[in-house]
Amino acid sequence: MGFLDNLFGRKQPTSSSVAKERLLTVLVHDRVHLSPHDMDEMKREIIAVIERYVEVTNPEAIEVTLTRGEATDHLKADIPLGRSRQQ
Amino acid sequence: MAQVITITSGKGGVGKTTTTANLATSLAMQGQRVVAIDADIGLRNLDVVMGLENRIVYDLVDVVEGRCRTRQALIKDKRFPDNLFLLPAAQTRDKDAVTPDDMIALCNELRREFDFILIDSPAGIEGGFKNAIAPADHILIVTTPEMSAVRDADRIVGLVEAYEKSNPKLIINRIKARMVARGDMMDTPDVVEILAIDLVGIVPDDESIVVSTNRGEVAVLDRDSMAGKAYNNIANRLLGHDIPFLVLDEKQGLWAQLVNMFRTRR
Repeated sequence: MGFLDNLFGRKQPTSSSVAKERLLTVLVHDRVHLSPHDMDEMKREIIAVIERYVEVTNPEAIEVTLTRGEATDHLKADIPLGRSRQQ
Repeated sequence: MAQVITITSGKGGVGKTTTTANLATSLAMQGQRVVAIDADIGLRNLDVVMGLENRIVYDLVDVVEGRCRTRQALIKDKRFPDNLFLLPAAQTRDKDAVTPDDMIALCNELRREFDFILIDSPAGIEGGFKNAIAPADHILIVTTPEMSAVRDADRIVGLVEAYEKSNPKLIINRIKARMVARGDMMDTPDVVEILAIDLVGIVPDDESIVVSTNRGEVAVLDRDSMAGKAYNNIANRLLGHDIPFLVLDEKQGLWAQLVNMFRTRR
């Protein structure tokens, strides 16, 4: 029901905006020469290092991403930690 | 002293050769002395696009290897017999037949006689590309508003910096205004933002390019061609004139809009 969706403002993103977003993501990786495979490798190593210091409850939930900033690109790691008080 | 301008893109098929032929012709129309060099050894096409394919005797490799004088290999364009020339690529050799130093020496020789030396680069980022950019004073990167072409253009921007060439300029080719209007093709500001280099021209997708190439003519000689108009504007910008960019949106008259509506409905 594309017509009704448009009428009520529930628009899908245009294919050009999808292209732009995908392209920006690809280019961040291209520019730092980091393939998805190397990215996975790095993520595993980061997890291994962090696990030596703190307890990571769910390694699956760790997110390591490259993002595009204004002047610089960023490597971001989001690591959820458990809240258990056990010693 | 000539300016050496290399037209390159990374991806093939985005319009490097058409751009080279049109800019060379447009500059010659304005009285500039121009030589266009086809650096795509083994896959030459600038001769065909300029309609000069039947007149080739010597080529770039013959010049570099000393089998003829440079002047003998230059093909005169009969439409501008005093000031437009083509130096064709060899068709039966590979790109290793020429080195970047050969290209620099050749251009230094030609600089004295011409105002503009335009070099049509091969696609890719290997030897042929390096040959094409080695002598360049200025670099024009051609892309289309498609992901693969823009990605490759970004790679070229990086390589151009790595070879210490400054300020490459961008030409966005084959823009389909109707697709842009309905959000199905990236718009000029999107592409410029992504690549973050200066824009020197936008060229609409135009069937007249195919027709003029079929005939061995170039679009800038056709007064009715929008793409030709766009290339003339780019040539003028290369000459330092401040020319506004073409407006490519589909705000035509009511009749044209109605026609378009019926076209898309069917």
